[in-house]
Amino acid sequence: MNIIELTNVSKVFGTVVAVNKLSLEVPKGSIYGFIGPNGSGKTTTIRMIMKIMYPDAGQLLINGQDDQFERLKNVGYLPEDRGLYKKMKIGELLQFLGELNEGTDLPNRINYWLERLELKEYKDKKVETLSKGMRQKLQFIATILHEPQLIILDEPFSGLDPVNADMMKDIILELQQKGATIIFSTHDMAMAERMCDYIFMIYQGKKVLDGTLENIQDQYGLDTLRIQSDMGTQALKGLKGIDNVNDFGKLQEIRLEEGVDPQKILAELLKKTRISKFEITKPSLNDIFIRIAAPARKEAPHA
Amino acid sequence: MRKIWTLFKREYRAAVRTKSFIISLILVPILMGGGFAAMIIMEKNKDTDDKHFVVIDHSGLMTAPLNEALEQRNSEEIFHARTGEQIDAAYVVEFLEYDAQDPEGQRLALSKRVESQELHAFIEIGPDIMHPAGEEKEAYIKYYSQHSFNDDNRYWFRNVINNRVQEMRAAELNLDEAQAENLMWWIDVEGMGLVTIDKKTGEQLDAEKTNELQTFLVPYVLMLLMFMLVMMSAIPQLSSVMEEKNEKIAEVLLGIITPFQFMMGKVLGGIGVSLTTAAIYVGAGVFTLNYIGMESMIPMDVLPWFFIFTVLFILMVGSGMAALGATCNDNKDAQSLTFPGILPAIIPMFLIAPVIADPTGPLATTMALIPPFTPTLMVMRLATPVTIPMWQPLVGLLGVVLFTIFTVWIGARIFRTAILIQGQKPTLATLYKYAFKG
Repeated sequence: MNIIELTNVSKVFGTVVAVNKLSLEVPKGSIYGFIGPNGSGKTTTIRMIMKIMYPDAGQLLINGQDDQFERLKNVGYLPEDRGLYKKMKIGELLQFLGELNEGTDLPNRINYWLERLELKEYKDKKVETLSKGMRQKLQFIATILHEPQLIILDEPFSGLDPVNADMMKDIILELQQKGATIIFSTHDMAMAERMCDYIFMIYQGKKVLDGTLENIQDQYGLDTLRIQSDMGTQALKGLKGIDNVNDFGKLQEIRLEEGVDPQKILAELLKKTRISKFEITKPSLNDIFIRIAAPARKEAPHA
Repeated sequence: MRKIWTLFKREYRAAVRTKSFIISLILVPILMGGGFAAMIIMEKNKDTDDKHFVVIDHSGLMTAPLNEALEQRNSEEIFHARTGEQIDAAYVVEFLEYDAQDPEGQRLALSKRVESQELHAFIEIGPDIMHPAGEEKEAYIKYYSQHSFNDDNRYWFRNVINNRVQEMRAAELNLDEAQAENLMWWIDVEGMGLVTIDKKTGEQLDAEKTNELQTFLVPYVLMLLMFMLVMMSAIPQLSSVMEEKNEKIAEVLLGIITPFQFMMGKVLGGIGVSLTTAAIYVGAGVFTLNYIGMESMIPMDVLPWFFIFTVLFILMVGSGMAALGATCNDNKDAQSLTFPGILPAIIPMFLIAPVIADPTGPLATTMALIPPFTPTLMVMRLATPVTIPMWQPLVGLLGVVLFTIFTVWIGARIFRTAILIQGQKPTLATLYKYAFKG
């Protein structure tokens, strides 16, 4: 069953089409990753799902309902632009947002989550005393405090150190196991690859990818080689059939032109240098993202 | 409704817990009442240094009477009857002969003495003060000083000279003291209210003498209080909403509540703060007036109107200001929009005098029925002793309710569209677009 269904949804700001006839189905209980370059329409799509903005055209169903003017119930939303009342104490702020979200057993839940995210000692301190990362964790607590069934996170990992990002990832996965549906937008392709059941990419307001990682990668086939050699990029010079080289220093990722046999490339390379690793693989999500977004990139200012 | 209540509680607590609220609660009435207090203090602490005058008496009749009156004043009138403390200045008068050769030179020399503060003033008494009627008579008392228009000392000379002249005229006509008193008796017109029926007992109540203080002070104070409450709670909505927009709190809240709930929670929080303030001020005022035995000045019948109109006025202005705040990007935008937003509160301030002078006149009636001005002007009119036809506050109330609904509706539409838009200047065209096209 789908918790969210978008059918030909469009949103226009002046002359800019931020979202163009977008259709999307988010299954209940899944983790759905939204990716796309800056200004491609991710946040606008999320704001329309949250009913903060209304679509100019198309239909948007949440739990099968399309009442534009009712706020969504049982939803947690972490916006891209973080904002909290700086002068409020942390405990009071969580109580306030928890009450607005009609949460129950709030005092116990506040204590539990503050402890879990290592913020308990700050409970009676004002928000303005927290660091940026701490504020982000606080806002994350406010998002999930009322145990929502649909959690929408707009770039939840940006600005977090690896330890905190990992902590947040574990909590997100835990919430999914308890039955929540999670949508998050991210620029961290590795995180999206590891966490998401489904990935959706929007580019210039249009859907360009949608499905499981495997399905998406299958569309591109085994056209990627990962090579480690003594000569590095020097060994690749003059080779025919290479579309693009992504140099990681000790490893080069090569995209082959359509129809090129990887064995021929290997044979050519062995003539030049000693090969320590040669892997034929599907393209990474990062590579797919760059293939789509790199040519003629253009950001939409309002989206 | 529950979400509005939650937001209301936050807004209310955030406002009343601040030091600035407590300070303004104390400071605002002090500043507003400061004028009256200063007048009372000035009255109590008059300058008691001797004041020097020069009198040029063309009539030749006033030297003795003035000297006699001066002696009485300087030995008795300037001292407090009970404590004996000097409470006013003694007058020292120098009588000069009129310089017929060079009268202008004499006046110039005396003016210079006034300028150098050697003299407080000089006075010329005309030659024909005994028999002023007739052509080419010169009956005058000219008082030359630096601030003649508000120099109360001149009234002492006026009273002494006129009283003495009247006595002399009576003596000339051979009238005895009683006849002279009857002749001079001036009957004033007493201002009375109307005879009314007590609504509870049905008894007829006698008309009461109108009290000038009550006539002016009660409407003035209620008007100022309403103005102050609007300034305290409705006007700050603009900067508060702008701050929440710029600090990105708005989007967090809009994920949970509708723009209408957001706006109403904030405006109702403001009303809560105002009602708290009003209850404290009105309660303190009622207690004080009861304590000093001036309970008749408490306009009990007007207070319900005051509270109803205040709530609606704050709702009207507050929702407008919240909507304007949602369109602002920075302080410059906020400054340019604050003034038009507070006009409904400011314009009635210019109408205090004409409305109190003639509360049922065409100006007062018309202006009080224009919804943005109704709350302040209608309450001010109701607080005067004049009876306002009952249909007027009722029609005014209906107009204000309808106008407030319109303001809240249009405010919510602007708020909803503008709160997430950054970098768009709030012009009339954009406001119209937000309000009617979304």
